[in-house]
Amino acid sequence: MAQARLGRMKAENRKSFYIFLAPWIIGFLIFSLLPIGWGLVTSLTNRMAFSVKWKFNGLANYREVLTNPEVLYGFMITFVYALLHTTLAIVTGLLIALLLERRVPGRGIFRTILYFPYMLPLVAVGWIFKVFLDRDTGFLNEVLVKLGMLKEPIAWLQMFPLQSILALAFWQAGWSLVIFLGGLATIPDELYEVATIDGARYGRRLRHITMPLLSPFIFFQFVASMIYAMQTFIQPYIMSPKPRRGENLFMETPPRETFFVMAQAYQQVITAHKFAYGIAMLWTLFVVILVITVIFIRLGGFVVYTEVEEKR
Amino acid sequence: MPMHQSQRLRLVTAGKLVVLILLVAIFFLPLVSMLITSLKTMEELFKIPPVVFPRVAQWGNYATAWTMVRFGHFLINSLIISFFYTFPCILGSCFAGYAFSRFHVREKNGIFMVVLSTLMIPQMVTIIPMYIIVSKIGLADKMWLWLLFGISGTPFLIFLFRQYFSTIPVSFEESARLDGAGRFRIFFAIMFPLVQTAVIVAGIFAFQWSWADYLQPVLFLKGEKVTLAVKLAIGYTDQKENVLHNIGMAGLLYYTLPIIIIFFGLQRRFIAGLLSGGLKG
Repeated sequence: MAQARLGRMKAENRKSFYIFLAPWIIGFLIFSLLPIGWGLVTSLTNRMAFSVKWKFNGLANYREVLTNPEVLYGFMITFVYALLHTTLAIVTGLLIALLLERRVPGRGIFRTILYFPYMLPLVAVGWIFKVFLDRDTGFLNEVLVKLGMLKEPIAWLQMFPLQSILALAFWQAGWSLVIFLGGLATIPDELYEVATIDGARYGRRLRHITMPLLSPFIFFQFVASMIYAMQTFIQPYIMSPKPRRGENLFMETPPRETFFVMAQAYQQVITAHKFAYGIAMLWTLFVVILVITVIFIRLGGFVVYTEVEEKR
Repeated sequence: MPMHQSQRLRLVTAGKLVVLILLVAIFFLPLVSMLITSLKTMEELFKIPPVVFPRVAQWGNYATAWTMVRFGHFLINSLIISFFYTFPCILGSCFAGYAFSRFHVREKNGIFMVVLSTLMIPQMVTIIPMYIIVSKIGLADKMWLWLLFGISGTPFLIFLFRQYFSTIPVSFEESARLDGAGRFRIFFAIMFPLVQTAVIVAGIFAFQWSWADYLQPVLFLKGEKVTLAVKLAIGYTDQKENVLHNIGMAGLLYYTLPIIIIFFGLQRRFIAGLLSGGLKG
C-alpha cells in the first residue's frame, strides 16, 4: 500500500521533472546537439558553400588546420590573449572588490559605476575604444598632448593592437567584481574579528582568511573567463587599424596579432565559403577549450582551498 | 608614536576613497570621450594641434545620426528580437531551474552537469552549422527564430533560478498540492511570484544579451531586417567612405541608451539580486 503510493509519487515526480525541463531539452537538442553533430560530420567532408556533390575526406581538414602556420599562430595568440584578458579582468575585479569590501562611504554608487561598463554591448564598447584611441581624432591623444604628456599623437591601435583590445577587459571587469563581491559576502565576519583580536594585520588576514576562502570564486571565474575570452570575435574587426572599405566589416582581416581563431573560422566559412574547413577550425578550438578546462580543473584541486575533503 | 585605532581606520578609508575615485575617473574617460566626440565637427576632430572641447556643441550630429541610417527602423528590429528572445529565455531558465531544485530523480545531477557543460561550447560551434542548416531549409531572415533561440534558457540563469527556488520551503507547495492544485498552477500561482528578483535579473541579462548580440543577427538576418548591433558595427560613413566618428558616437549613444536606462533604473534590485541568489551555494 505505502509502497504503491511511494512508487506513484516517484513517477509523478519524474513526470514533473521532465515537463518543466522540456523547453531546455528541446532547445538543447535543436540548438546544441543537432548543429554540433552536423558540424562534426561536415568537418570530415570537403563541403563548400555551393557544392552539390561532396564526399568524406576523413581528417584532411583537421590536418590542414594543424599544419597551417597562420592558423597555429592564431591559436597561439588566442590563448595568449585569453590568458592576459582573464588575468587582467580578475586582478581588476579583485582589487575593486577588496576596496569595496567593508565600510566605505558611497559603496553602492562605486559598485554600480564600476560594474556598469560590463553591461554595454561589445559593438558599442569596441567603437568607443576605437574612437578613444584613434591617432588623429582620439580623445586620449588630445588630452595627453594638451597636458604636455605627449609631444606627438600615438597610433595606439596600430602599434598596440592586442593591448588596445585588452583595455576592454580592464574596462569590463564588472563581472569579476560581482562574482568576488558575492564571494566576499560569504566569508563570516567573526573570522575577521577573531583574527583582529589575535593581532593579525590586514596583510595576514588577506593571506590567511580572504584569499583562501575566495579561491573557489577566483578559480571559477578564471575558468569561465578563459572559455569566454578564447571566443573573442568581433572586437578585433571593429578595432582594426586598417582603413575600412565599403559596408562590409569582414572585407579586411584584422592585423595578425589579433586575428583570433574565431575570426579566422568565420572568414573561412562566410567569406571564403569553405564550410568544412572553417567548421574543422571551430571544432579544433572546441577541443582546445575542453582540454584547457580539464587541465585547469585538475590543477584547481591544488590551488583551491576546501574545508573538508570531498566525499568520493 | 603609534596611531590611534580610529584615526588609522579613517586614514585607510580615505586612501580607499582616493583610489576608488581615481578608478571611477579612469572608467569614465571612454564615456566622456564618446560624449565629447559626438559633439564635435569633423574639422575639430582632425585639428592640429588637437582641441579637447568643441567650440560649439554640435547637437545636430544627433539628428544626423538618427536620419542617416534610418535609426528608427533598425531600433524596432532590435526591440522585436530582444523581446522575442527575452520572454522564452526567462521562462525556459525558470522552468529548468525549478525542475532541478524541486524534483528528485536519479539522473538529475547528470543532466545538470550537461547543462553546465554547455558553457564550454563556443557559441560559433553551434551557430555556424545552425546558420547553414537554417538557410538550407529556407528559414533565414525570420525574426520569429528568436522566440525559439531562447527556450532552453542559459546555464547561468538556470543556475540562478535553481538557487532561488532552493531557498523556498517545500511546505508552500505541499499545502497547495493537498488542496488539489495542478503542477502548473502551483508553479505560476505560488512559485513564480516568489522568485521575482531572479526574474528581474534574468530579464535584464536576457535583454542585454540579445540587444548586444552580433553573431546571430549578422548570420540569420539580412538587409532591412538586421539589428542595430549589425548596422552600427559598420560605423557611419560619408559618400567617400570616410568614417564619421562624431556621428558614429552619437548613434552609439542612442544604441546604448536603453541598456543605460534599464540598468540604472533597476540596478539596486539587479545587483542585490545577483549577489544574494546566484553566488551562494
